[in-house]
Amino acid sequence: MPPEPKQPKQPKHSDDNLMERFEVAGARKFRARDAIIAVAIIAGILIVCSGSSILKAGNEMNHGIGRDAVLAVGKPAGWIAGRLPLRSAANTVTDWLSPDPNLSGLSGFNDEIATGANAGVPLVTPDAFNPSQLGDPAPPRARLHTLLVTGDSMSEPMDSYLAQTLSPDGVRVIQDPHIGTGISTTLLVDWGKLSAYQVQHYHPNAVVVFIGANDAYSMPGPNGKLVNCCSVEWATIYAQRVRQMMNTYRQDGVARVYWLTIPTMRDPARSKITNVVNAAIEVAAEPWMAQIRIINTVPVFTPGNHYRDSMTINGQPTIVRQSDGIHLNDAGSQLAAKVVLDSVDQDFTF
Amino acid sequence: MLFPSVQFGIFFPIALALSWALMSRPALWKPFILLASYVFYAAASPIFCLLLGGVTLWNHGAARLIHESASERRRRLICTVAVTGNLLQLGFFKYYTFFAQSFAHVFHNVGLGVPLPLINIALPVGISFFTFQAISYTVDVKRGLIVPPRLMDTAIYLSFFPHLVAGPIVRAREFLPQLASPRDPRRVAVSAGLTLIAIGLVKKVVIADYLGRTVVDPVFAVPGAYHGPDVLLAAYAYTAQIYCDFSGYTDMAIGLALLLGFVFPQNFNSPYRATGFQDYWRRWHMTLSRFLRDFLYIPLGGNRGSRWFMYRNLMITMVLGGLWHGAAWTYVIWGTLHGVGLVTDHALKGRFKTPAWLRWFVTFNLIALLFIVFRAPSIGVAWNLFKRFGSWGSPTLLTLPVVLAIAVTIVPQLLPPRPFQRLQDWAGRLNPAILAPALGVLILFVAATVPSDGVPPFIYFRF
Repeated sequence: MPPEPKQPKQPKHSDDNLMERFEVAGARKFRARDAIIAVAIIAGILIVCSGSSILKAGNEMNHGIGRDAVLAVGKPAGWIAGRLPLRSAANTVTDWLSPDPNLSGLSGFNDEIATGANAGVPLVTPDAFNPSQLGDPAPPRARLHTLLVTGDSMSEPMDSYLAQTLSPDGVRVIQDPHIGTGISTTLLVDWGKLSAYQVQHYHPNAVVVFIGANDAYSMPGPNGKLVNCCSVEWATIYAQRVRQMMNTYRQDGVARVYWLTIPTMRDPARSKITNVVNAAIEVAAEPWMAQIRIINTVPVFTPGNHYRDSMTINGQPTIVRQSDGIHLNDAGSQLAAKVVLDSVDQDFTF
Repeated sequence: MLFPSVQFGIFFPIALALSWALMSRPALWKPFILLASYVFYAAASPIFCLLLGGVTLWNHGAARLIHESASERRRRLICTVAVTGNLLQLGFFKYYTFFAQSFAHVFHNVGLGVPLPLINIALPVGISFFTFQAISYTVDVKRGLIVPPRLMDTAIYLSFFPHLVAGPIVRAREFLPQLASPRDPRRVAVSAGLTLIAIGLVKKVVIADYLGRTVVDPVFAVPGAYHGPDVLLAAYAYTAQIYCDFSGYTDMAIGLALLLGFVFPQNFNSPYRATGFQDYWRRWHMTLSRFLRDFLYIPLGGNRGSRWFMYRNLMITMVLGGLWHGAAWTYVIWGTLHGVGLVTDHALKGRFKTPAWLRWFVTFNLIALLFIVFRAPSIGVAWNLFKRFGSWGSPTLLTLPVVLAIAVTIVPQLLPPRPFQRLQDWAGRLNPAILAPALGVLILFVAATVPSDGVPPFIYFRF
């Protein structure tokens, strides 16, 4: 038979929890109904002034219950906000606070939905050849002044390692990651516009791009109809977008572009998508092999498209992936930075 | 689910309304709030709900066994097993990768292969916080400070969503009495709650994230690109950032709990006002400090012995406190240096008569410099940052908004009347009908400062 419950003792340190502080400060007490009404007022203000943001946030989320719930609120909220003048008034008043670059006036993906349906045979230009492929001597190496490292979360912390290596040599390294973005979606950022902004703003003579982990969004096709991932049609549109970015970054052949493919992911479903993304990147670069280097990370991190958490680096078994099975960890990012530097070193001095 | 997110903006009004609708009927309210808390946690990773449930069952079972046991020896044994189980699961998730990688290097170098699978284990959000709460619960039952409640109450205590992922570390004896009877719907500190949510939102999104984006992240990513003044600025900026980030989260958590009718303990009390390390730890992350004091420092012997015995206990407590933040040598060094600071405080106490402003100046600057070690991704980077103090060039990141953001964080903590605290107390007495529209407009302005990447996670989520 269990003993009688013991009476709790007085706590030894009752002085440090300050549980009575709201009473001491004279916080006024209201009814619970007031709390609900107050929260409802706040929600109402947010819906009428910024309801479309809820819809946008829902569209940016991964498929699942959470997204469905946000969209269930976001659709009517967006509808209400769209019919009231408060949204534009709120935007006007708060726009100046945005830390994002102003991309208005720049050409985005949806402005130039290229279909590849040009009549006739596309011209092959000398830019399509990397001289080293032809056995020609490589052009003299130029001095690297400004390196832009950009992409989605895959580019972090590789960008820091590149900066740590190159900055002491006087190279200006711009780290411009855009977390959660993708080339197949313009919801968070339109990479067509962003790439143009980056070139105008930073004037890099080399650009490192590592992006594609979030790409599986449906994209508008030639007729404006949405094309779902990951058909040939989808890959075609994706490659066209990548090509548009590559053309922007190469700046008429003045700059070099180092575009990393995505290493195989742990989840086979995600890996199927990255295979398509990687194929599209290869195709996109074809017209400008003189300026664009495709850095294939698959043989480095996941030979034979077989996912692995760890590998041998400098003779040491080392974990190279994060726990999500998608991103590279610090050691993996350091290795990726080294592979990029080896490639940059062939074109530039620093 | 982050507090400043659209998902939480949808989740909370529903949870609040239903919570008060069901409050008078505990048989319905308790399952509801438990479900809501698990839904909140599942938004981060559904699979880890099993872990949270497992920790709850493990500690509840242990607490019941301890309570029903008449033998002190048996009670101690059960408590030891329960705490060890908690620490093992915490250690596995938090430190496995660190040790597997370290062992792999050592064993590989002597030709013994790789002893443990080299995989990167995902860290369940908030594991350090709910594990510490679970330990405090079991130990407090063992000490006879509380009587174990029903399983439902234990489950709510450990999973209650406002404190689940980053504290404050609420003790069972503070929370369980609030579950004993329904919260009074006529006595809700609505305005105090709304004010805290507003303050927390501004601290996190406007100040902390701005300083992180513009000063701290660039300098800590590439120390070599900056000279001494920028590194010093980054140290002060991070000092302000981490305070605004963590205390901002805490303010929101306490404010949300108030709206639901619950009171949490205080977690910060103007920490940058401290005039010594001991004073600092009484003001910074107060719920962790008292956990370490009550469950580590005092059981080690505390100050019951010689001076050197007390110093030893302080050092052990602070080294482990540093390691609690993560599996990295930077945290261990940071904790060790804070231990040295505490020991020095004790050693010098009463020996010199120094003015308060000088003690504050030394303490504040040492704390800011130690944050360099805390924030640096590796010892090498921390060392590089300190070396940059020898390179004295012109500052490139010093702008008026940066100075304002740092000043608005630190200066009000130093002023005797603490203007923000008075403002907060004043707002806590206002009518919610005035506060709610103001908070709605404030959120619109705060949301406009969020970059397209969204709100970065709270720094303490990873701990």
